[in-house]
Amino acid sequence: MLVSSPSPDSASRAAIRLLKEWLPGASAVEGSGDLELSSRADQPQLISAEIVEGKTLRAVKVPGVDRTTISGFGAFLDGTQKVRLIGRHYGVPIVLGTTSAAVRVRVNRRLVTWGHQPPRLERKLYLPLKYLPPLTETLGAGSQRKYGQFQVVDTSIPDASGAYPSEHPTVLLERAIRAVDRQRDALEDELAEAWCARGEAPLFIDGSITRSPHAAASANAIGVIKSHFTLYVEGEALRTVVGLAKGERSSVFQVTPKSRSAVMSWYLRQRDPEGHDVLWGLVRVEMSRCDNPTERADEISRWVLAETSPLALPDGRWDKMSYGIRDVEEFLRAIS
Amino acid sequence: MTEALGRIVATERKPNTPHEFHFWTAIDSPVGIGTIVRVDGANPMDGQIPHIYGIVVEGFSYTDLQSPMHDVLGHDGLPTMAGYAATERAEIRLYTAAVLRQIPEEPLQPVPMGQVFLAEEADVQVALRMDSYLREGANTGIPIGVYRAGGTEAVIYLDADFLLGPEAAHLNITGVSGLATKTSAVEWLLASMFRHFPEDKGSIAAVCFNVKGPDLCYLDQPGKLEKSDEALYEKLDVEPKPFQKVEYFAPYNAKGLALNTFRNNEALLDNVTPLTWGLREVLQFAEVLLNRDDIDAKADALIDFIVQNVVDKEFSDPLLSKKHTVQSFADLDAWFRDVLRGMEQKDGESWRTHHVATIRKMRNRLSNISTRCAGLVTDSGAVSDLPFGSFEDRTVYVVDVANLEEDAQDLIFARIVSKLREHLERRDLGVKHLVVFVDELNKYAPGDGPDTYVRKMLLDIAERGRYLGLVLFSAQQFRSQVHRRVVGNSGTSLFGRMDPDELSTPGYAVLSPATRTKLATLEKGQLMIRHPHFTQPIFVRFPRPAVMQGREGSERYPQAGDVSLDAAILRALRPLDPAITLPWVQEITALFTQEEVIRARNATLLARPENVKAYFSAQFRKIIPAQPATRPMAASIKSAPENDPYGF
Repeated sequence: MLVSSPSPDSASRAAIRLLKEWLPGASAVEGSGDLELSSRADQPQLISAEIVEGKTLRAVKVPGVDRTTISGFGAFLDGTQKVRLIGRHYGVPIVLGTTSAAVRVRVNRRLVTWGHQPPRLERKLYLPLKYLPPLTETLGAGSQRKYGQFQVVDTSIPDASGAYPSEHPTVLLERAIRAVDRQRDALEDELAEAWCARGEAPLFIDGSITRSPHAAASANAIGVIKSHFTLYVEGEALRTVVGLAKGERSSVFQVTPKSRSAVMSWYLRQRDPEGHDVLWGLVRVEMSRCDNPTERADEISRWVLAETSPLALPDGRWDKMSYGIRDVEEFLRAIS
Repeated sequence: MTEALGRIVATERKPNTPHEFHFWTAIDSPVGIGTIVRVDGANPMDGQIPHIYGIVVEGFSYTDLQSPMHDVLGHDGLPTMAGYAATERAEIRLYTAAVLRQIPEEPLQPVPMGQVFLAEEADVQVALRMDSYLREGANTGIPIGVYRAGGTEAVIYLDADFLLGPEAAHLNITGVSGLATKTSAVEWLLASMFRHFPEDKGSIAAVCFNVKGPDLCYLDQPGKLEKSDEALYEKLDVEPKPFQKVEYFAPYNAKGLALNTFRNNEALLDNVTPLTWGLREVLQFAEVLLNRDDIDAKADALIDFIVQNVVDKEFSDPLLSKKHTVQSFADLDAWFRDVLRGMEQKDGESWRTHHVATIRKMRNRLSNISTRCAGLVTDSGAVSDLPFGSFEDRTVYVVDVANLEEDAQDLIFARIVSKLREHLERRDLGVKHLVVFVDELNKYAPGDGPDTYVRKMLLDIAERGRYLGLVLFSAQQFRSQVHRRVVGNSGTSLFGRMDPDELSTPGYAVLSPATRTKLATLEKGQLMIRHPHFTQPIFVRFPRPAVMQGREGSERYPQAGDVSLDAAILRALRPLDPAITLPWVQEITALFTQEEVIRARNATLLARPENVKAYFSAQFRKIIPAQPATRPMAASIKSAPENDPYGF
């Protein structure tokens, strides 16, 4: 869970100072680094999907790919998050979450920040208010309260059945981390929708576009998913996907996640997997539903393949990551 | 206000200090090595926003690439593939600047965070502390060139008080040979000084020793200028004209017929004066021509005896066969012969405490001076010299020693500079400030080698000249090989394009690698300047001098070749009187020896009389024309004698 132990940054120090002032009994946690979820709620899984290009899932050589292929993407969208345990109040974790998202537009082959919507950057305190004494000087109401310079997010809100989370510190910490996750998703969706509303050029989005109905319906939002916790293939189709060679894609299928929007999707092998893991260089691409999935999938695949240069090294995910997304992440790292 | 072009950055690894800071700019910003920038601090100090001025001394560029191998892999080892990448890598231009000035100056703190702006003309004046001597009432700025960067064009001024004294003085210029940058820079700076040197500081003139080539031989002739040069002249407020007052001095060649200078074309002789010295002038500086082994206490005593008691005096002694009046080397040799003859007759080993061996040695050494310095030193004792005592304001005096033997060059340096110094000490030179320009310091003031008279003399100017108004402008190819005290005493230093080997010597270690690289690639017309007011070297561009360059001059005015005696006399006298013709010269000189004719010419040139023909003719000794021999005519016989048997 603990990734690193850097010294507290200025935001953490400010939050700790406030907490000690407004929450007597709170103690600082020294040397806490950025936190990640210790476990995912859902296990890796295989799900069958509806094929919309042909009847069976097959490998398709992406046509027209050569070194002169020009990418049609005009911009890149990504978000980042930092979760830091900054203190405790008798065992109750006090978490500072920093979320950010930005669109970087390509101008003359260089990436610059989109001028129509500034990058999003938010710092919030994630507190299980139920298990803490009443905060003095707390303003506002509900889950979005203002505490000094920080907004407060209540991580102890009861679920749909009305049950409060356990007071177990690990449970509370994981709820805080999920809340930060959701916050980052919200920022990304906000920017994606703003971009789609202007309809300037196709947007390369790091991750799924199914969360936002607007993005999922826009021809200008293309999601590229690097992680394959869920594989939308089973049986022979799975073998086809893991056997994809460099420059090949799978047939287009439809993804319909629960409580999310349906989109068309396919797998695309960006790099030669020889000597690597079967998922090496494999991404899943999402686009809005359309009437000509073959032509559209070929075109977008060419764009995605064109974005494999320059390499996203030294990022460890360089086999699947485009340089544009790495640029957004570096930009967000610089401002957050 | 202009837009910011950069932002200050500081990290623990690369912190800012009171003397250095770092900033980044956009990829296409006009910043380069030598650019002057202004930093506006973000937070006021004592109610004042700090302004920091700096000059860029180093630049870095890099991308987010961690290893070159990643780029190779990313393009499958094919460099041509890189051009097809959809996106170019994020790239940074990071610069390091050396602080020129901080305002407020106290307390001196590390450079704060803030925005970076390109310095405008007013900023440049403040950054280089020129505001202190360009203000009303001071006004001692001498334009040296124009600083250019990103649209800013600012005149860079040197402070006359620190260039010509008394605060500091002297100028040294270094650069590779062949580009004519050193000579051009000095010619330009003299023109600028003559235009801008404040009237209230008195008069100024320059003595230039032309030690090689013809570059200094056409200072009064107009040169070719380009439009860009004319624009620079206008910006620097100097008229693009050749020097109005130039006087040339050169000795004769060994034969004594023509002046030993590149400027001996008949069309240019009107302001060329022969440089000839006699015994008295030379004996004062005999030690210049004698090697170290020759000069000991005994020899020195004998020379002193001759100078005090023999030269220009009627000298008699029981030992001698006659009275001697020594006025020339020929007279001196006769005197030596008489002394030695007398000693031989007397069989004595010493005379007036001087040992016979010393006398013989000095006779040998002194007698051949006129041979070694033929053309400069005359046997006859005729003297034609620089106008010591009547130097004129804003005049350049060029002494051409380029074609002379080393001995003669040394003698000329030593005597002229010593005379200049004497006159300046007495305040009777004619001008208050005098610039002496000497090129080839690697030869005349080397860091190692024997301690010559010329080197001692240059050291003396460098160390004490500024109190007298005697300022040394010196030049050389390798500054590192010039005597440290000569270059060390130069308040102002100019650097043209430099040799990379020279730049690798310790003296240049204070410059950043980027500055050294720029120095090694400077264009003609560009200089790097160090001046007491500037805390860092500054790069400037100066205009081509408005005088004819040596190569063009020597093509347009070819050097005169060997000529006959008559033609040489005609060439020498015609500038004084254009009516003189070759037949007239031939008629006047027909009956006289070459020596007599040359003596008459020298006397005429020295006197520059109103009636040149009459004066020249009068120099010859009166010769009664030979009368044709006549026999008395025998009286004619009117009639035959009567007793003449053969009579008819």
